[in-house]
Order: sequence, then structure tokens, then C-alpha cells
Amino acid sequence: MEVGVTMNSAISDPSFWSRLQFGFTITYHYLFPQLTMGLAWFLVHWKWRALRTGDEKYNEAARFWAKIFGLNFAVGVVTGIPMEFQFGTNWAGFSKYAGGVVGQTLAMEGMFAFFLESAFVGALIWGEKRLGPRFHFLAALAVALGSWLSGYFILVTNAFMQHPVGYQIQPDGSLGIASFSAYLLNPWAWVQFAHNQMAALVTGSFVVAAVGAFYALRGLHSTQARLYLRGGTFTALIASLLVAFPTGDQQAKMVGKHQPVTLAAMEGKFDGGTKAGVALIGQPNVAERRLDNPIEVPGALSFLAYGHFGSYVRGLDEFPKETWPDNIELLYYSFHIMITLGTIFILLMGYATFQNWRGRLESSTLLHWVLMLAFPFPYIANTLGWMTAELGRQPWLIYGLFRTRDGHSHVVSSGDTIFTLIGFTGLYFLLGVLFLFLVGREIGHGPDKEKVARPENANTKKDESLASREEEAGL
Amino acid sequence: MIATWYAIVCFMLIAYVVLDGRNFGAGMLHWFVAKTPEERRQVIAAIGPLWSWHEVWLVGFGGTLMAVFPRLMASAFAGYYLALMLILWGLILRGVAIEVGGHINDRLWQGFWDFVFVFSSFLLAILFGAAAGNLERGVPLDAQGNFSMAFFTDFTPRGNVGLLDWYTVSVAIFVAVLLAAHGATYLTLKTEGLVNNRSARFANCLWCAVVPLFVAITVESWVVRPDLFRNSIRNPFCWLGLLVIIVSAVTLISGLAARRELRAFVGSNGLLVGVLATGAAALFPVMLYSTLAPENSLAAQAVASSKSAFFYTAIWWPVGLALATAYFIFISRRYAGKVSVKRDNQGFY
Repeated sequence: MEVGVTMNSAISDPSFWSRLQFGFTITYHYLFPQLTMGLAWFLVHWKWRALRTGDEKYNEAARFWAKIFGLNFAVGVVTGIPMEFQFGTNWAGFSKYAGGVVGQTLAMEGMFAFFLESAFVGALIWGEKRLGPRFHFLAALAVALGSWLSGYFILVTNAFMQHPVGYQIQPDGSLGIASFSAYLLNPWAWVQFAHNQMAALVTGSFVVAAVGAFYALRGLHSTQARLYLRGGTFTALIASLLVAFPTGDQQAKMVGKHQPVTLAAMEGKFDGGTKAGVALIGQPNVAERRLDNPIEVPGALSFLAYGHFGSYVRGLDEFPKETWPDNIELLYYSFHIMITLGTIFILLMGYATFQNWRGRLESSTLLHWVLMLAFPFPYIANTLGWMTAELGRQPWLIYGLFRTRDGHSHVVSSGDTIFTLIGFTGLYFLLGVLFLFLVGREIGHGPDKEKVARPENANTKKDESLASREEEAGL
Repeated sequence: MIATWYAIVCFMLIAYVVLDGRNFGAGMLHWFVAKTPEERRQVIAAIGPLWSWHEVWLVGFGGTLMAVFPRLMASAFAGYYLALMLILWGLILRGVAIEVGGHINDRLWQGFWDFVFVFSSFLLAILFGAAAGNLERGVPLDAQGNFSMAFFTDFTPRGNVGLLDWYTVSVAIFVAVLLAAHGATYLTLKTEGLVNNRSARFANCLWCAVVPLFVAITVESWVVRPDLFRNSIRNPFCWLGLLVIIVSAVTLISGLAARRELRAFVGSNGLLVGVLATGAAALFPVMLYSTLAPENSLAAQAVASSKSAFFYTAIWWPVGLALATAYFIFISRRYAGKVSVKRDNQGFY
């Protein structure tokens, strides 16, 4: 959207506000599931180790992180419900056209993933005694599986929008399902799922390592700090490597194959050619149709996208302008900053793992500082990855089939959406403050040595007197 | 096929209202049945670890509606835009209040979240009630099957209607009282001590209040939509629903009278299912009635998805339901029994 020219029309354009609202609410929402999907497997691992070794430190770790998990989960749930409803409220055109297809996976997510997660999450956080060690481990496993399953169904839905398969166009013009297995096993979904889940694991492990570093720097909870630092940095290294290769690489190849114009825009490639380079630095200049001040690795893009240095990569000029993503600059920078951050993650965690191997992970104050302050960056990288995917899909809502501008609800005015967007902004701001306060409090409090998941009520005397009153009343 | 899917979608919505209705009821009565901070934690604990499982029914309903009746979902959700957003915000506040209220053992903190819990529960019960009234009354659908509704217009239930008019407001009040009674019955079953005593008293009073309101709503519905009653007489499912209502009412009354808490709660659930299912059956085959012109109404046939969508959904949906029920039974058994005012040493919620 060329802001200067279309500012006035943007104000009265309901599609723009619905996009902004969906973009804002989904970005905010996804800050929470990306941590829970990563953290879930730490909980499973620690519960498993506790079961096998009987070492109480693993239970302590699981108990502490289950509380952090619970807070994230709660905010994830309450901010997630508006997402599904916005398909109907703000995107009625899209729902009418494709609801019969994408509704399948949205419903399956509820039936198969959310019921599983929501039944066991309370038991995971508060039910250690009620369930006993075995069932408590299984509750952790159930929550982890549920959260990944939910991710899969959402990514199948998104993959259909990126690369529609298994559909048929019905007599009334809307979409129906032709092959359910083709729809569920969309190759795009598998690649995107692998890439996305590894990225969630990066977030989870960075946060675990950061809390470990925080305790190490303060000289608190030394056993737990060591556990978080070692587990966090090693997992972060593996996950960061897997994010880049093979999953990120395959994702880029998928884009090159099915959305060549998107690949050109991601790389700021205006002219096509063989031996196409990857720009390390450069600013896309859309008006002049060139990349300003580039420093390129020659041939790299040809090789990465199509497997040979001599492969021909098409430039934006070879595509009609109405099929170009509508914000090339934002797309380009999102993609490039994501790649840069991913590279830094590998280097940082590679160094931390090396230090651990030398036995110096626990003694390096500088490294602890870096690890402690590094945790926001995977959130940024995840968000940028999704911006790349979703901006790159433009101007299509369903790639090649249905344009974004046709998707919004015609009965909902831009005023309605501005009003609710302001409402969401305010509510989510307060929710964010509340969340940070509570998580900060839990981290400040730290892992408990006691087996009690929560401090006893301070006023136990009163409890007793109440109980005796009840007994007198013959209850 | 269409009728079966209409029934399944209604089943999911009814399951949501019955399951989460107890939480709304408990929320509305929170201040009145629980006086001390400990008792208020006890009420939250009685809602227990499954409130989000209850809420998933709403999500499941939304997804399934989109899969099998996409055009209805699109038209209704967009038309109810602001009301639905208020519901979403209410659900956010309610969920947060339940989750974080117990995090800090402090009177001010807990008192604040108790207020949010009570407020959002009232708001949600009223809004869902108004939504139910809207479904029975109809909405101003145009010839394209779209509508956009103001919060209120001239408060009459005909022509260019708004979300609230004398009919939908009275349905909202009825639903709020009904859910409060349902919640009180649930709290009687699930708590012990003083909260149990107060809940039992509230249950008796509220169920007494439900009876005249129910009669009034029935008469009002007959005035607003006489065609629904002409339909119902010919519809065997409405008679079945009536039978469920009568049997449940007898179970409920005998349960309340004999202080058999489980029996009363079973009756309460049955009564809610009966009332809602009869309403849903009476509406069929129209899913959204037009107050402007009856020929604009959206019938199930016209808004349905493709045959293949019905077919695939029919394969996975029962599996999902069976699994969901299994999880529910497993967790419910672990958390069986009454919640005491004393914090159990796991202190859940």
C-alpha cells in the first residue's frame, strides 16, 4: 500500500482495517503458542527424566516451568478464540468462498487438539499429586501433542491459502473438497510445519536458557540454573540448525517453485537472470525498480532456490504488476532480518554449546548476559517469518484463486473495525502488562524446593475455624 | 443429511451453553454464594480444571459451522459484528479472571479479579441470551442473505430490528436467570460447607423464578413468531423436546426437594438441553429468519456446504467427539467429589 497516495482511501477501506486487525491479533496471539509449543517438550523431557531417574531436580524444573507454561497457555487461549471468529466477522467473503474447505481443519483443530490440550493442561499445572507421576508425565505428553496437533491443523489451513490443493470449484462458485487426503497432506503444510515447529522450539529453548542465565548471574538456584542453561543452549543449537536446514531451505524452494514472484520480491530481485545472487545488504527501491547499494553473494539464490548456480531466477519485471506482493519493502526486510537473526542464533548457541563442552558454560558472565538478553529475538524472528509468509502471499488470500480485496465482510464498515481494533489494542496492552507482571513474579520467585505447587493460604487459622463451624452445622 | 448436520451443529452449541452455562451461573452468583476470599477461591476451584475444555465447545461449534454451513457462518458472524466482539472480549476477561485471580494471595488482587469474573459472567449470560432471542426472532436479512444490525432500533421485534428489543431483552433476562439457577445447582453438587448451603438456597429461589419467566417467554415467542408454533406441532422432535423438558423438570424438582444434589443437577442439564433443543427443532429448516421478508430467510439447504464436505466431516467428527468425551471422563474422575473451602495441598486455582 503506497501510504502517501492512498491515505484517505485507506481510512475508508474496510479491507485494510480488517487486514490490520487480523494481522495485529494473530501476531499478538502467536507470541504465546510459540513458547508453549517449544516449552511443552521440555516439560515432557523433564517429567520423563524424573520418572526414570527419580531425581527431584527434574520435577522441580517441570513444576516451575509448568507455571510459566500455564500463564502462556491461558493468554494463548483467550487471544486465540477471537482468531477463529474473525474468519466470520471480518472475512465473510473468504468464509463464504472457502469455508467448506478451511472450515474442516479449523473444526478439526477444536475437536482433536483443543479438547486434548484443555482437558490436560489444568492437570499438568495443578494435578501432580492427584495424577501421580506416571499420569502426570502422560498429561505433559498429551498437552505437548495437543499443541503440536493444533499447529498442524492451522498450518494445513495456511498452506491451503499459500498453495491450494485438493479442492474443486462448485457450481455456485465456492470451493469444495475434492480430495481430503491431498488437502491434509499438502506438501507445503509439511514443510511449513517442520520449519515453524523448529522455530517454536528455538523460542522455547532461548527462554529456558535466558532464565537459567538470569539465575546464574544472580547466583540463585544453581542446580536449576545449570539444568536450564545446558538444556536450553543445546536444544537451541539443534533447533536453530534445523530451522535453517533442511526446513528453511525447503521452504524457500517451495516458494521458488509455487510463488516465483514472491521469491523475487523477498530478494528484491527486479531483473531476472542466471547466477542470481543473494543480497546480504541492500534496499529495494520499488519506484526505480532496483536494489540500491547491494552487496551480493553471486549465484547463491540460483543455487538455494533451484539447486544449480546457473539456474534462471525470474525477476519481478517478468510478472504483471498486479500479481506483485503489495508491500515489497516490508516483505524484503522481514525476510532478510529473519535470516540474519537465524544465523546469529546458530553462531551464539554454537558458541555456548562449545563452552559447555569445555566446561565453561556456567562460569562465563559475559555469555550469561548475552543469553539472558537474547530471548526476545526468536520472538522477533518468528514474527518476521510469518510476515514473510503472509506478505509474500499477497495480493492473494488464496494463492492464484481469490484476492485479498474480495475477502472482507461487506456489511462491516471500516468504522466498526477501527473501533474493535482500538478495543483489541487496549485490551491486549493490559493483558500484556498483566502477563509480564505475573511471569516476572514467577521467575523472581523461582523454582520451589517444596513439593507444594503453590504457597499455602496464609490465613490457615481462619480456614480451621471455618471448617469447625461447618462441622457444627452438621455438613 | 442436512437435517443431521443441523442437529450436530445445534448439539455442539447446546453442549457449549449447558457446559459453560454452569460457569456463567457460578460467576453471576460468585459474590452472593461466597463471602470470604477463601470461599470465593472455592467457587473457582469448583469450576475446576475444565472450564477451558467447556469453552472449546464454542470453538468446535464455530469451526464445524464454518465447515458445513459456511454461508450461514459468514452471514451471521459478520451481521452480529459488534455483539460478537463484545462476547469475545467478555470471554477474554472471564478466562483471565479465572486463571490469574488465584495467583497472588492478596485481598485487593483477588477482589479485583472476582469483580471481573462476576461482571464478565453477567455480560456473557446476557449477550448469549440476547443472541438466542435473536435466533428465534430473526434478523433483518436482505435479499442477498446479509444483514448488519444496530444494537437497538425502536425496540419492536418486527421489520428493521436491532440486537435488543423487548423480546430479545426478555429472553436475555430469562437465559441469565436460567443459567444462574443451573450454576447454583452445579455449585450445590460440587461444593461443601457454607457455599453449598447458600447455593442450595439460591437454586431453589432461582428455579422458582424460572417458571413464570418460562411461561412469559413462551407467550412472547408465540406473539413474535406464531409460525414457529404452527411448525412445532407437526415436528416430532419438538414433542420429544417437550418430553425431555417435562421429565427433566420432574427430576430437578424431586432432586431439589429431597436435596439429592446429583439428581437435581442431572435434571438441570436435561432441562437446558430440552429447552434449547426444542427451540432449535422449531426453527428448522430455517437457520436465520428474516424479519424484513420471510423469503429472504436462510434455510439450511441454501447455506450448506458441498456433499463431500458433509461426507468427510461425518468421518472424523464422531472420532473427535469420542476422544473429547474420553478425556473429559478421565479428568472428571480424577477431580471427582466436592471441593472444600480448605485449600487442598495442590491448591488448584
